[in-house]
Amino acid sequence: MKKILIIEDDLLISSLVQFRLKKDGYETHLVKDGNEGIKAIEDLNPDLIITDVMMPFRSGIEIIHHAKKSKPDTPIIVLSSLGEEEEVVLEAFNLGVSDFVPKPFNPNELAIRVKRVLS
Amino acid sequence: MYSFLFYLILEVLGWMFLILSFSVIVIYMIMMVLSSLEMRDYLRKNQFADYGDIITSPIAPGVSILAPAFNEGQNIVQNVKSLLSLHYGRFEVIVINDGSKDDTLAKLIEPFELVKTDFAYFPEIETQPVRGVYKSSNMSFRRLIVIDKENGGKADALNTGINIANMEILACIDVDCILASDSISRMIRPFMEETNRKVIAVGGVIGIANNCDVQDGTVTTYRVPESVLGKFQVVEYFRAFLMGRMAWSRINGLMLISGAFGFFRTDIVRKVGGYFPKTVGEDMELIVRMRRYMYEEKIAYKVAFVPDLLCWTEVPESEDVLSRQRNRWMRGTIETLQLHKALKLNPKYGTIGTLSYPFWNVFEKNGPILEVTGLIYTLVLIFIGDFSAIYFMALLVMMYLLSLLVSAFSVLYEQIAFNHYKDKKDLRRLIWMIITEPLVVHPKVVWWGLKGHWDFIKGKGGWGSMIRKGFKTAEDKKNLSTQSNT
Amino acid sequence: MKKTLLLFYFLGIFLVVPKVLAQEISIPKDPKDFRTFLQIQKEVPGLGYRLLIPDSSIDSTLLAELDLQIIPTDSGQLSGVKENFELFGLLPNDSLGFQVIYTVFEQATADSAAQEYLANLVRNGDFVPRTEIQKPQNDLVALAIHSPYIPVFGNKYTFTADIKLFIVTSVIFTFFIFAFGMFVYMLVLRAKKNRKEELEAEYDQMIVDPLTSILFDKSLEEIKQMKMEELNSFFPNELVIKPIYREVLIDRIIGLNKKMKGDFKDKLKTLYHKLGLAKVSVDKIKLRSSSKWHIVADGLVEINEMDLVEFVPEVKKLTNSSNFHVRSLAVAAMLNLSQKSDLSFLRDQTYPLSDWQQMNYLRIIKFVSQSKELKIEMLFESQNPSIRSFGLKLVRMLGRVDLLEKLSQIAPKLGDEEKVEVLKVYREFGAHMEVDFVNDCLRSSNKELMTQAIKAARVVGNEQSVEILESLLLNENDFHIKMLILKSIHELNDDKFQELTIRNTDSSLFKMRKHILDPKLSHV
Repeated sequence: MKKILIIEDDLLISSLVQFRLKKDGYETHLVKDGNEGIKAIEDLNPDLIITDVMMPFRSGIEIIHHAKKSKPDTPIIVLSSLGEEEEVVLEAFNLGVSDFVPKPFNPNELAIRVKRVLS
Repeated sequence: MYSFLFYLILEVLGWMFLILSFSVIVIYMIMMVLSSLEMRDYLRKNQFADYGDIITSPIAPGVSILAPAFNEGQNIVQNVKSLLSLHYGRFEVIVINDGSKDDTLAKLIEPFELVKTDFAYFPEIETQPVRGVYKSSNMSFRRLIVIDKENGGKADALNTGINIANMEILACIDVDCILASDSISRMIRPFMEETNRKVIAVGGVIGIANNCDVQDGTVTTYRVPESVLGKFQVVEYFRAFLMGRMAWSRINGLMLISGAFGFFRTDIVRKVGGYFPKTVGEDMELIVRMRRYMYEEKIAYKVAFVPDLLCWTEVPESEDVLSRQRNRWMRGTIETLQLHKALKLNPKYGTIGTLSYPFWNVFEKNGPILEVTGLIYTLVLIFIGDFSAIYFMALLVMMYLLSLLVSAFSVLYEQIAFNHYKDKKDLRRLIWMIITEPLVVHPKVVWWGLKGHWDFIKGKGGWGSMIRKGFKTAEDKKNLSTQSNT
Repeated sequence: MKKTLLLFYFLGIFLVVPKVLAQEISIPKDPKDFRTFLQIQKEVPGLGYRLLIPDSSIDSTLLAELDLQIIPTDSGQLSGVKENFELFGLLPNDSLGFQVIYTVFEQATADSAAQEYLANLVRNGDFVPRTEIQKPQNDLVALAIHSPYIPVFGNKYTFTADIKLFIVTSVIFTFFIFAFGMFVYMLVLRAKKNRKEELEAEYDQMIVDPLTSILFDKSLEEIKQMKMEELNSFFPNELVIKPIYREVLIDRIIGLNKKMKGDFKDKLKTLYHKLGLAKVSVDKIKLRSSSKWHIVADGLVEINEMDLVEFVPEVKKLTNSSNFHVRSLAVAAMLNLSQKSDLSFLRDQTYPLSDWQQMNYLRIIKFVSQSKELKIEMLFESQNPSIRSFGLKLVRMLGRVDLLEKLSQIAPKLGDEEKVEVLKVYREFGAHMEVDFVNDCLRSSNKELMTQAIKAARVVGNEQSVEILESLLLNENDFHIKMLILKSIHELNDDKFQELTIRNTDSSLFKMRKHILDPKLSHV
């Protein structure tokens, strides 16, 4: 079973995503801020990371930096309410994230993208 | 005859202290109520404010950030970088190198690719000569302007910046302050919101960064400083900002905006002739002069205050540095009040003439003197065995309790409104500080204040006598040549 | 709490402090009382007495015991001058028929003279009379209380001493009442806040699961068909009637609605209605009390976020509310929800529009104008100058070139402030055909208007503009305006610029020339 780490500070969003992905048979883990996120990347060794960009304590960019350094092969999907042309999002793409899902989003659409990234 | 005089003085003083302590209590009570009302309203309003638009909106005003630097070589590059990365649309950062003795300017030139330009400007406010205006040849630093000038002090450096600034709003800050990335947006809001009154200045809260974790220009974890003086200042800053300034801003009576983080309307600052470099209290003096100007011109206006914590600074924890700071504050207060004597109890100057000025005069300026006299008075009464000594001892005890109440209230207030210090241990330390402060630190503060009075008295002649005479109108400053050596 | 107890302890101390006894000593006039009074005094300097015993049949042993130095006289036996008044106490009683003759400095006087002499002594402070003796050895405090008050000079301040006490006590009282009130207030506030936060966190947990499962397991149709009982199995009715639970639910649904797309949005909206939350929202905006404005504002935000179009008439009533926030949010909601391109609600606003409101409206209008053509020109007819200016700004910011013609018609009749906005539009659109209007404005005595015209001339100006600018330059003293004029001349006619700046020896013009020609300063 594939492990997915979800880093998102909004509890409802993350549980929606989790609910949807569980239905597709993934093992999911939720953390709610950047510090926990970095710890979880180390401890869990996930197959996929879904992260927000703006979060308490550490920005998504930092997490992406960290993940790309320690687990360069783990794909990352960015989930954010920022537009695609924002500097931060461009920076994330530059760091090599696999996909970007702008909020507002449809969880079903996210599930499809997850499937594509993991196959 | 002598004994008659002696007793008469005792009697008069007795009455004075009775009235004084009565008014202290009443005033602080009113302040507590006012500040809590103001805080409630602010928090409610803030709920409905969307700061998201302000960064990109063409309607938002431009901001010139003025950051004077004197011997800041060590951190200047980092500081300027974080200023340039603030989240705002139209702004410029003007760094003024005030004739530093170190390599402040040299440090800036290389990383920001600075080159000297033929910047033409009108020296509307007289300042020390400017050696050069630098801009970056790299577009990504297009917001930066660096002014190199002869040394003339902080006020003079700011005046040079005011001459060069291109935007409608001035943000005067200390270059070593840590600013939250959304600080400009939040401070600009009062300027944009008022319609029937002109907002001439907006003040902010200064947080204490000592012993806190800082990341990406924001304090992420708050911790109370270890030293007694550090802790004292945490409590003191709560009191000053959350209680005092909130209350004064409720009745539009703010006399002071922190020099380390204050926003002003450029046109008004220019109209009154900028900072007055011959006083040590230039930040307070400017606000008072601007307010005075508005009254004299009969334009409805407001000085606003934003209680969100957006700016942090390291406060001095050494007794030596702190004592000099307090001495300077006291002299600044005395000088400002002297310069603007005309405001005293003058109903023409509204709240500030009838309330703020007398308050500052009695409690801020003469506070230390009154406290010491009160103490001596009580001791004399005890010594001569006068029965009323008991009353005054009771009053002293009550003043102590009042200070406990006010401090406790401010801390509780911070807890309810912001709750930055999350650790219970920190809270306990602050409470302990509140209890001991009036006995341990306060006497020192009083002593430093008295020394400030003494230093003011000593500084006779030259500008001293000018300051004693005071300004006849708010625009008087423009007619003075402040650069001549007297 | 301990602290408060301590405070009351102190208060107690001040209240039990006894009143200072202050009294005027008067010399009794009645001979008997006077005697008793003197007996208490024991001795009074200069005052003495002789005893006259008319009846000689007195026990001589007693007389000897008293050492009266009796001298027999015609009227009886007369004693020598005595100064010890305590003897009065030893004399058996009046029945013996003693007669007391007072002496002052050994001269016999009348009773009244002796009384006056004593009163004089007391008044001058030469003699301090005692009051009754009451076992002093047992109770020193009682003695102190009964000892007469000695004013330092007269009794001038005795009354004020009392007032002081009164003031001190009242100050302390006020303080304690206030302090107590403040503490209770803060504690209640804190407790309430904590309780609310706890509940919110608790409800949050309770809401997440049912909401998620409804959204995924049920189709939009299914949700629409759901009966109340079925819905209550997800969201128990006893909870839904609780205000805090409802608020959390509203918060959560709105939060999701913002971040979700497609059929999820419709599902959320249906749920919002089904759970009766729409009714909650509209009830909020029906509140009329001005102190509840924040609740009204909450309601407006909810209606706006959830697209509750059916409440548009209710919202419209609030667009001219006296409360800044209510009014702003109502207009924002109207802009979002209104199906029509009608902007009359904005046009008819009587309150001046702040920059902050303009900024918010602009964002919404920009967004809305993608889907429907707004009748911005309606705003030009407003009675409110700030609304008219805003309308003009919108023309520029939305790029409504189609309205240029309309502008050109109304521009000459507008006030200066609105003309400034028109000039900005012309500058933005490069409206060369309006150059005459710009040139007219160049000649205005209004600084603001002239400055804006100088900037507009830079883009749309012609040779005539250059001429006007040149004459302005020569008469202008303001540095900033001169700089603007030069920049405009530089854009329009470089030869003229060269001619003006090189020819002129005025050093400030030369400085400006260098500034304008410096490429590094071109994007300031």
